[in-house]
Amino acid sequence: MSDDLFDRSEFVAYFRDETEDLLQEIDANLLQLEDFVSSERADPEIVNALFRGLHTIKGSAGMLQFGSIANLAHKLENLCDLLRKERMPLSEGCVDILFLGRDVLKDLVDAAIAGREGDTAGLDQVVERLDRFVAVYEETSAVIDGDLGPTHRFEEEAQEEIRAAGNAEIEAFEAEVARMLAAAQAARRDEPPAECAVRAEPVRAAEPEVAAAANGVEKPAGEQKHRANTHQTIRVDIERLDTLLNLVGELVINRTRISDIAETLDRSFGRKNGAADGSAGVLVPLAKDLAESSALLARTTSEIQESIMKVRMVPIGQVFDRFPRVLRDIAKARHKEVELRISGADTDLDKTIVDEVGEPLMHLLRNCVDHGIELPEVRERIGKPRHGTVALNAYHEGNQIIIEVTDDGSGVDLERVRARAIKQGLISADDRLSDREIVELIFTPGFSTAEVISDVSGRGVGMDVVKKNITRLKGVFDVNTEAGVGTRFTIKLPLTLAIIQALLVRVADELYAIPLDSVIESQRVEMSEMRTVHGNEVITLRGQVVPLVRIAEVFELGGGRDPEKAMIVVVGLQGRQVGLVVDAFQGEQEIVIKPLSDVVGRIPGISGATILGNGAISLIIDVHSLVSEANVNGRVARAEYSGV
Amino acid sequence: MQEKLDRQQFSGDAVKVVSFHLGSEEYGVDISQVQEIIRMVAITHVPRAPHFMEGVINLRGQLIPIVDLRSRFGMPRAEHTKSTRIVVTEIGTKRVGIVVDSVSEVCNIPIESIEDAPEMIAGVGTEYIQGVGKIGARLIVLLDLTMVMSGEEKRQLEALEASPPTQ
Repeated sequence: MSDDLFDRSEFVAYFRDETEDLLQEIDANLLQLEDFVSSERADPEIVNALFRGLHTIKGSAGMLQFGSIANLAHKLENLCDLLRKERMPLSEGCVDILFLGRDVLKDLVDAAIAGREGDTAGLDQVVERLDRFVAVYEETSAVIDGDLGPTHRFEEEAQEEIRAAGNAEIEAFEAEVARMLAAAQAARRDEPPAECAVRAEPVRAAEPEVAAAANGVEKPAGEQKHRANTHQTIRVDIERLDTLLNLVGELVINRTRISDIAETLDRSFGRKNGAADGSAGVLVPLAKDLAESSALLARTTSEIQESIMKVRMVPIGQVFDRFPRVLRDIAKARHKEVELRISGADTDLDKTIVDEVGEPLMHLLRNCVDHGIELPEVRERIGKPRHGTVALNAYHEGNQIIIEVTDDGSGVDLERVRARAIKQGLISADDRLSDREIVELIFTPGFSTAEVISDVSGRGVGMDVVKKNITRLKGVFDVNTEAGVGTRFTIKLPLTLAIIQALLVRVADELYAIPLDSVIESQRVEMSEMRTVHGNEVITLRGQVVPLVRIAEVFELGGGRDPEKAMIVVVGLQGRQVGLVVDAFQGEQEIVIKPLSDVVGRIPGISGATILGNGAISLIIDVHSLVSEANVNGRVARAEYSGV
Repeated sequence: MQEKLDRQQFSGDAVKVVSFHLGSEEYGVDISQVQEIIRMVAITHVPRAPHFMEGVINLRGQLIPIVDLRSRFGMPRAEHTKSTRIVVTEIGTKRVGIVVDSVSEVCNIPIESIEDAPEMIAGVGTEYIQGVGKIGARLIVLLDLTMVMSGEEKRQLEALEASPPTQ
């Protein structure tokens, strides 16, 4: 089969998605398998699952001519087969080599997908180790069986086993590949190619034949089964969902407009039914009908919107799944004993956020093990269980998802952080900092308390990046730590990034939207309550000095200052508060974010735009960039440390 | 000076243009680049945008940036009147609205009556001009919208994008 026959990239994309899931499963299975090491006998269920996963990868890789992947998967499969047949005891060395093999396999897959050559040295090494490991037991089993061609036999038996198990996943994949292949061939046979998607019939007819040709495996009539399976879930390009969501956004905007019109009509004609003249007489029932229809439309639109949001929601467990393995590796490398407790893995949130939150969480977990959890001996000495516990917990709270990472380790050593910060020149020795401010220091770029740079953490690129990533997702990040008891990191994230609650404010003649999640309060302030610190306006709210940023001035919108009072929206940013001065408050509203950067380029201080119910456009204020801008200008910093 | 007018770019014997006024001059843009012409609507000002960017409008749910051609060409801005129009153009995949004093008509300009652009017309750099069409006594300056939107604007937009990311 030559490559130019079909669009290979489609297959590769499918392979990538499928293999990613399988590798994840293999990881989870290996972790479970590890628990059986003490009994030397593996749970056959787990080994079978491992075997199937590896076999599927082998098959798919073979089809795409990823030789080294198929080869390695095959060797790993052989090892599993020995385990399965109990011709090899389950040992720590065995699990380790499986883990290693799985990692090299993942690297190879990543490389193959990116179109690169894999790390052949790593591959050779692991293949050699595998061969040596297996060789001993294969010989023994060959003697037992009197069979001299073990490898070959495994292969056949495996195929049979798989078929017997009726593994729907493999069949689904094969069917999918076959279908695409057939479609490609059908398209080539009968032009024009654009039609191939519509022509279901010839494609399906060609399926079994092509499938057989594709991998040399006879396909039994299990087709019904896998067809049913593919109907249950489908993979959809996230971009398509985004488009759908955008369209629904339009619908929501228009729904609001229609409601507005219906209301206006109702006000004008609906109520003064007595004085209805000729034209209004017709309008009265019409206005009523429109009001009813618009109410119905509103309900349906809300439901559509909700459903689409739900489609985009995936359980956060997708991210959590890979953590047990990571934690195991770090704990092993650090000679620590750590148990990871996961709860709330089924908590849903937006797919885009799930994708982004993995890295920061991973880093937090690494930090917990590396810096938080003490060595087992130390823990025993101070009366803690040998096993350290890292807990990962997720739950919904209103429109947000809360993720907590908690460890029962030593807590952040404030004295050490302080000393380190002085040494690195971040603060001076006579700065008086509150405990909270000291904890905040760990988020300073370049800060690290680790004396020795390890490969796990301690390179000083971590906590600041974690915080930055969370902030970018419009999330809030918080740390609580108690010496000797442990540390808790709390991350609050919005459930979705596309629709938000916002406070509308008027500045000069324009309406601006301020995301409600960063708003702490809004209030009217008399000029007499304002003070000036180093030429910058501040107010004092409950004992805290809050610097003011006048939107009209930073955006050069013109319009003078009100000499008597100011309307202030207090926004919170990284534990600091800043007051945005506006002209008037215009209430809260749910808004659909539209990107502005592809329309007019990126503008500092503006994160996007939204279209309001009456068709007017409101720009969305990027609180983070506005406040950090004010910060750069020295306004926040000076006002804060002047001690008013 | 380099030959500006590439007659190959005009297919057929005539070009169909939408003509409009800006100050005392009459301009024309190829009708295939014009999506629609709308009356003046409320323009939402975008702070910190390039000076010729008047803001954005909502065109049936889509955000369209509005360019003030007068400031683009270095002419003084004019008050919007009843005849002020927004010509919504489509350049590539991008839609841009341009504010003009008034729209006159759609006219055919025979290829043979199009001449190369003179060095300078009312402050408009010749790089924006494809040629000058003559219909009787009227002179219609044919604008190359791709250039109008790509020169300075592109640089400014790029400068904006190069500014540090908002964190």
